[in-house]
Amino acid sequence: MRLSLKGNAGPVEILRGISLTVQVGESLALIGPSGSGKSSLLMLMAGLERASGGSIAALGQDLTGMDEDALARFRRGNMGVVFQSFHLIPTMTALENVAVPLEIAGEAGAFSRAKAELEAVGLGARGGHYPSQLSGGEQQRVALARASVGRPKLLLADEPTGNLDTVNGAAIMDLLFGLRDRHGATLVMVTHAPDLAARCDRILRLADGLLA
Amino acid sequence: MIWALAWRLARRELRGGLAGFRILILCLALGVAAIAAVGMLRAAIEGGLTDQGATILGGDAQMNFTYRFANAEEKAWMASHAAKVSEIVDFRSLAVVGDDRALTQVKAVDDLWPLLGTVGLEAGTLVSAFAVKDGLPGGIMQKVLADRLGLKVGDAFKLGNQSFRLGAVLLKEPDSATAGLGLGPRTLVRTADLAQSGLIAPGTLYETDYRLLVPGADLDALKAAAVAAFADKGMQWSDRRHAAQGVERFVERLGSFLILVGLAGLAVGGVGVASAVRAFMEARVATIATLKVLGAEGALVLRVYLLQIAVICGVGVTLGLVIGAGGLVLGAPLIAAAMPFPVAVRLYPGPLGEAAFYGVVTGLLFAMWPLAQAVRQKVTALYRGNAGRVWPKAAHLAVMAGLFALFVGGAVWFSGNWLLAVGTLGGVFAALVVLALAGFGLQRLARFLARRGFVEGRPGLRWALAAIGGPRSEAMAVVLSLGLGLSVLAVVGQIDANFRASIARDLPAKAPSFFFIDLQDAELPPFLAMVNANPAVSKVESAPMLRGLLTQINGRNARDVVGDHWVVMGDRGITFSDAPPPGTKVTAGAWWPMDYTGPAQISFAAEEAAEMKLKLGDKLTVNILGRDIEATITSFRKVDFSSAGMGFVMVMNPSAVAGAPHTSIATVYAEGAAEAAILRDTSKAFPNITAISVKDAIDRVVEALGAIATATVLAAGAVLLTGVVVLIGGAAAGVPGRMREAAVLKVMGATRGRILVSFALRSALMGAAAGLVAIVAGGVGGWAVLRLVMDLPYRFEPWSAVGIVLGGMLATLAAGVVFALAPISARPAQVLRSAE
Repeated sequence: MRLSLKGNAGPVEILRGISLTVQVGESLALIGPSGSGKSSLLMLMAGLERASGGSIAALGQDLTGMDEDALARFRRGNMGVVFQSFHLIPTMTALENVAVPLEIAGEAGAFSRAKAELEAVGLGARGGHYPSQLSGGEQQRVALARASVGRPKLLLADEPTGNLDTVNGAAIMDLLFGLRDRHGATLVMVTHAPDLAARCDRILRLADGLLA
Repeated sequence: MIWALAWRLARRELRGGLAGFRILILCLALGVAAIAAVGMLRAAIEGGLTDQGATILGGDAQMNFTYRFANAEEKAWMASHAAKVSEIVDFRSLAVVGDDRALTQVKAVDDLWPLLGTVGLEAGTLVSAFAVKDGLPGGIMQKVLADRLGLKVGDAFKLGNQSFRLGAVLLKEPDSATAGLGLGPRTLVRTADLAQSGLIAPGTLYETDYRLLVPGADLDALKAAAVAAFADKGMQWSDRRHAAQGVERFVERLGSFLILVGLAGLAVGGVGVASAVRAFMEARVATIATLKVLGAEGALVLRVYLLQIAVICGVGVTLGLVIGAGGLVLGAPLIAAAMPFPVAVRLYPGPLGEAAFYGVVTGLLFAMWPLAQAVRQKVTALYRGNAGRVWPKAAHLAVMAGLFALFVGGAVWFSGNWLLAVGTLGGVFAALVVLALAGFGLQRLARFLARRGFVEGRPGLRWALAAIGGPRSEAMAVVLSLGLGLSVLAVVGQIDANFRASIARDLPAKAPSFFFIDLQDAELPPFLAMVNANPAVSKVESAPMLRGLLTQINGRNARDVVGDHWVVMGDRGITFSDAPPPGTKVTAGAWWPMDYTGPAQISFAAEEAAEMKLKLGDKLTVNILGRDIEATITSFRKVDFSSAGMGFVMVMNPSAVAGAPHTSIATVYAEGAAEAAILRDTSKAFPNITAISVKDAIDRVVEALGAIATATVLAAGAVLLTGVVVLIGGAAAGVPGRMREAAVLKVMGATRGRILVSFALRSALMGAAAGLVAIVAGGVGGWAVLRLVMDLPYRFEPWSAVGIVLGGMLATLAAGVVFALAPISARPAQVLRSAE
């Protein structure tokens, strides 16, 4: 696949021809220098970015021809995404943040399942707190709970420890791999940290928009 | 299901309160308040006129005749249909005290007057005021007239040849609202006491009103009967349902105009709404992106934010209704005291609904675009903070088009004048397009100039140009909101300045000093000899005059043929002449021969004839003093009515009106210094003729226009206030960005003074761009309103335009500087840390 984005100064080639297959249940680490295209590749896999050329299929479905709404529907229950900067909704409490994907999917018992997921990441007592009242590590744990609450088949994590110190980062990774093991999901993770990458089944290096 | 979920998510976001929506709420509230207040005032006046229609009219119904009393047949009809009939005579005259004289609108009444309502006198009763004392009958004058003539109760004054005693000072006349604009203050006398005055003679200019009390009668049937019997004899009917038609029409037109100014204000506010919604959406792009990541479709996201905007709009609209209606209700005593007619201030659901309609539709219309853009944008672009730069979906564009059509349709429906409504909205739309182009041009120019050599060594200027031309520039929002506000003000300014200029400059230079009316045939030669002998008099014109009502055109009712054209809306002056009067320019047809005695012929004013689609050979029926005269149009003439000189729509051949009682009218052009002496000498020599000072008449008109000017200025003030709120909102919204910029510049060694100068420069440049567009828009808009709507001459009034533009630039500069103070005084470390 290829990805080219338009900027004020003209188009920029982000991914210049990548062919990649991830097996069900596999954990894959994408590493490489800044600007190499790791996060863009992850966003393409999540259906959050559109490829300029080629095709992407996930869980047996071709994402290439789907419009924004179809992609959103596909993510429900199939995918969980974790970002470096957490992206919690600031106007919602931790519990509400975790319940949102279930509410959107119209699933019953959203809040009780969200409470259980928060407890699983060790934040059962902080459900009523807003993101601004939580530390960075706690916010990322809420984000993890939110990503996993729908039992997704595919977990995508974009530098999940990038904004955290070593201790918090290690705790988040333990949680991430624990959730993945518990739900049997496929995990694709972008990271700069070699020790975190080493915990995955496979490591791929990107450089200048190509697989090295 | 989707709405329920959307509402649940929207409610969670709204828990934080409405603090971030102050500008949006204020913009909507101000626009809605202005429209609600205008609509309520209009309803209150109409309500007052309806509630007290009979009192205002002075009876259940009125039959009006021009320059004659009702004849025996008409009087018999009234007596057989009404329980009571009161006769009133209305005319202009001069009230004379020694050498002093003043124009007055005389109302001569019978013993039954007033049939309804009460007369307010400073002291005493109506009977005692009219009573004969020391051989002089009593008269009642408005205080302003008594003061002008230095009269106290008991002092004597003359009307024509008859002396009166001031019996009382008039405070309130119950049926004054039906009289329209009088050229002088009121004097009340009894008709019987005028017998020796010489003022009411055949051919003199007076009107008679017969007020009828008809309890329980079917007014429609009564009107139909009266119109069928007497309308073609010049009788005009009115009844309590529309007692003061002139006031109603005036209020309706002024109300429509003000509501359109309010709409323009709402459009300005709408730009503020759009900016506020855009800022609101920008603050939520990350949340929108997250919702999409979590599987939310565009429809759900759109509903979540549409519901929030709807709630906020609801708050703004409600606040506007409370301010508009509450202000009017609280100010009711003051308003009632200021109006010459009854005002029924209460809550009128109609105008409030109208204002709410405009508010809700404006809010949704201007909110829809940024909303539709945000929900269509890719998640990754949203996370990069880029909500715009994408076209909304076709369905959303269709919704916007529907809302726009609803807005235009509502404006047309509510204003009742599609031309004015569509013209105003078209003007606003055109101004927005021009402003958008100006904003775009300014950004491009700034980007171009920022890279030129001359800005080297001028970092303040370069930063300002870079900020205007760069990404996330405020230029477009500022130019649009400020430019539209200034454009509306500039148009109002041009109209106002042109009005004043045309009254102050054009008229007096061309207009005569006096009109003399009611000159009897025997008085005319000595009168002309007297004024022509005066060296200060430069020109005298005179013509015989009758008054007549154009009732039929080619055998059909004239109003059915030409609608509400002013020529058929009341009686008109008609003259007769064997030869074309001096200066006459016949544009078509031919004048009748000297001493022509054949079938009646008429020469008609060319411009009015064209408006009424009259042709040579058309037959007109004119009712003069109850007698129908049918005449054929045989020529058209050019008549200039704008000079305030003598101008007749219709001239007939003398034999056509032979025997009809008439008087003459004369215009006298004289030097200003000699006017007082001319008035004194002529009225002493000819006590029963009436002189109307054109200057005084113009003063009265200007006084009446003052109310319109005040109302317009208030409405324009609301537009300005909205513009200022939008401006402040825009400046406030830019504070976080400027905060970061100032912090980074300080890190690089920039002083606060230099940063402030740069911030001030960009405000001034944006203000100037908005102002330049406003000058052009003001000129074009002013021209369009004056030439196309009001049919008045237009001249660009530079001072008004420059003043408005300078004011706009200063306002932008002030807002820019005030909102730059926080960024330049913040400590960089704090700003940069919180930005991480």
